[in-house]
Amino acid sequence: MKTAFAFAAMLTAAPFLAPLAAGQAHAADNSGPLRFVLIPKTVHPWFDKANNGAQAAAAMISQATGRKVEIEYRAPQTADVSSQNDIIERAIATHPDGLILDLLDEKGNRATMDEAVDEKIPMTVFDSLPPEGMDITAVGADFCEQGTMAAERLANLVGKKGEVAIMMGVPTAPNHTLRAECEKKVFAKYPDMKVVATGVDNDSIETAQKQASAIMQAHPDLVGWVECDASGPVGVGQAIRESGKTGKVREVGLDNLNDMIQLIKEGVAESSASSRPEMQGYWAVVSAWQRAMGQKTPKYIDTGIDLLTSKNL
Amino acid sequence: MSLETTVPAAPSQQPPKLPPLKALVSRLAGNPLGGVIAALVIIFGASCALSPHFLTTFNMVIIARALAFIGLVTIGQSILMILGELDLSVGAIGGLAGVVGGILMVQLGLNPWLSLGLCLLMGGACGLLNGALITQLRLHSLVLTIGMAGVYGGANLVATKGVAITGVPRDITFLGRGLVMGVPVPFLVLLVCLAIVAFVMLRTPVGRYIYAIGSNPDAARMLGIRVNAIRMGAFALAGFLSALAGILMVARLGTAQPSIGDTWVLGPIAAAVIGGVATTGGIGSPIGAVLGAVIIGIIEDIIVLFGISPYWQSVVSGGIVVLAISFDALARRYLNRDAV
Repeated sequence: MKTAFAFAAMLTAAPFLAPLAAGQAHAADNSGPLRFVLIPKTVHPWFDKANNGAQAAAAMISQATGRKVEIEYRAPQTADVSSQNDIIERAIATHPDGLILDLLDEKGNRATMDEAVDEKIPMTVFDSLPPEGMDITAVGADFCEQGTMAAERLANLVGKKGEVAIMMGVPTAPNHTLRAECEKKVFAKYPDMKVVATGVDNDSIETAQKQASAIMQAHPDLVGWVECDASGPVGVGQAIRESGKTGKVREVGLDNLNDMIQLIKEGVAESSASSRPEMQGYWAVVSAWQRAMGQKTPKYIDTGIDLLTSKNL
Repeated sequence: MSLETTVPAAPSQQPPKLPPLKALVSRLAGNPLGGVIAALVIIFGASCALSPHFLTTFNMVIIARALAFIGLVTIGQSILMILGELDLSVGAIGGLAGVVGGILMVQLGLNPWLSLGLCLLMGGACGLLNGALITQLRLHSLVLTIGMAGVYGGANLVATKGVAITGVPRDITFLGRGLVMGVPVPFLVLLVCLAIVAFVMLRTPVGRYIYAIGSNPDAARMLGIRVNAIRMGAFALAGFLSALAGILMVARLGTAQPSIGDTWVLGPIAAAVIGGVATTGGIGSPIGAVLGAVIIGIIEDIIVLFGISPYWQSVVSGGIVVLAISFDALARRYLNRDAV
C-alpha cells in the first residue's frame, strides 16, 4: 500500500515536474505545416460532411500557398459539453495554429475557450454562435431563417391548418433552440395551426424515431412535422413510414444527410431546408487560416440555405 | 546470549536473490495494486515517449482536472463494489445535484455555499434512499438503481426542461476552475476525499466490516456486523460523492447542464475493475480504483493528442483497457511459472 501512496504522490507532483522533464511544446514556426483542429458537437454524418469541406479548403490553401495545411478532426463520442470541453482542452495542449469549433453550449464552453485565448490560439466557430464578447468569426447559416423556411413550407403544404409537431434537437444547443423558436413563431401566425407536441431527440435518429412514433400515437390528427437538427428529420421520416402515414403526415426536414435525401426521393418527406455543411467546414478553415496569418476576419460568414425537393435532387 | 542470536538462520530461509527485473515484478506482484501500477507506469511512459505534448504542465492539469470528477464517483462506486453492490444511478444523482444547485443559486437566489451544502445533502439522501430500498425491500442493487437512475434523471429534466441553467455565481466557479500552486482545485478535493476514504477502509473497523460483508454477508451478520446499516451508509456516501462531482462540474462549466453525469455510469465501474476491485465483492481498494481511473484518463488524453480518428477511438481505448487488465494477469503468471 505504501507503493500506492508513493505513486499517488508522484502523480500529484507530475504537474510541477513536467516542465523540467519535457519543456513546453513549441509553437508552429513560419515554415512548417499549419495545423488546425476541428471539433464538432459529436460523431455524426453531418459533421463528416463539414470535415470534407474543411479538408477541401486545406487542400486548396496548401496548393495555392505551397504551405501544407493539416486538419485534425476530433469528435466527442457523445454530445455532452463536459466531454467536448475535455477534447478542446486536449487539443489546446497540442498548441495548434487554430481551433475550429461547433459549440454545444457557448456558456458551458466559455471557460475552456478562455484557456485557448490565454494560450493565444485563434478560434473560429461554425454551426453555432460564439460566447458574448469574444472576437471570434462564426460561420453558418441563419438558423432562424432555416427554421422559418421549413415551417412556412409545411404550413403551405397543410393549407395553414391542423395539428403539427416539432422535434427539438439538443435542447442546450443554441442553434437548435433558435430554429425551434422561429418555427413556433411561424405556426403562431396561423390561427388554425396548433403545435400539439414537442419532442427532444438529442441529435439521435433512434430517439427521434421513438419519440415521433409515440407522438403520432398520442395525436392521431397530426398533419405535419418540422425539426431542429439533422438527425430529427431522419428519425421522424422513419416513424412516418413505419406507421403507414406517408402522405397523410407531411414532413419538411432539415439538412442534407443521405438518409434525408432518400426520404425525399421516396416521398416520405416533401423537402428539406438544408444548411451547407461542406461549405461551413470550408469557410471555417479559410477564416481560421486568415486568423493564423494575423488577418482580421468577419464577425459572421453566412453560408446560406438550400431547399431540397424531389425536383432538384 | 539469547537463543535467537546464537542460532544462525538456515540457508533455506533466506530469500533467493532475483535479477532486478524479476525482483521488481515480484515486488509488484506481491502488492495488490502492483498490476495497475505497472500498467499505469507503462502507459504513462509510452505516452511521454510518443507525444511531445503529453508531459507538459498544461496537459497534466487537464488530466488531473478531468480525473477529479470521474475519480470522485469512482471512489463511491468502488466501495459499493467491495460490498458486492452496484449503483447505476450515481451519474443521475450527480446531474440532479448539479441542476438543483443551479436552481438554488440562480433561480432562488440562495447563498452559493448554502446551496452547495444542500446539494451534497440531497446527493447523500438520494444514495441513502437507494440503500434503504435495497436493504429493506431486499431488492437487487443493479435493478433498483437502474430504475432510480430514471427517476433522478427524469427529475432533472422536469426541473430544467432540458435547458441549462446559466448565471452560476462566480463565488463558486473557483471550485471547478481554480488552481492552487498549479494543481486544479477539483483534483485536490479528490485527493482529500480519497485520503479520508482510504483511511476509513484500511485503518478502521468500518473498513474491515465492508470487506467482511463483501466477502460473505451472512457470515458478517453472524459476527454481529450491522450489515444493512453499513450498506445504506455506503450508498449514501456514493450519492454524496456523486453530488460533489456534480457541483464541481457546475463550478467548472459555469452553467448547470442537464447532461452532467451522463457519462459517469460505466467509466467508474471500468476504473474500479482495472484497479483490481472484484465485481463479486470483498476484494480491492478505492486507491486502486482511482488509479484505474487515471489509466482511463490518460488513454482518453492520448487518443486526442495522437489525433486518432473518432471512429477508432472506442476500439483503441477499449483495447488498451483490455491490455492493462491483462498485464496484471500476465505478470502474475510469469512470476508463478518461475516459482514452480
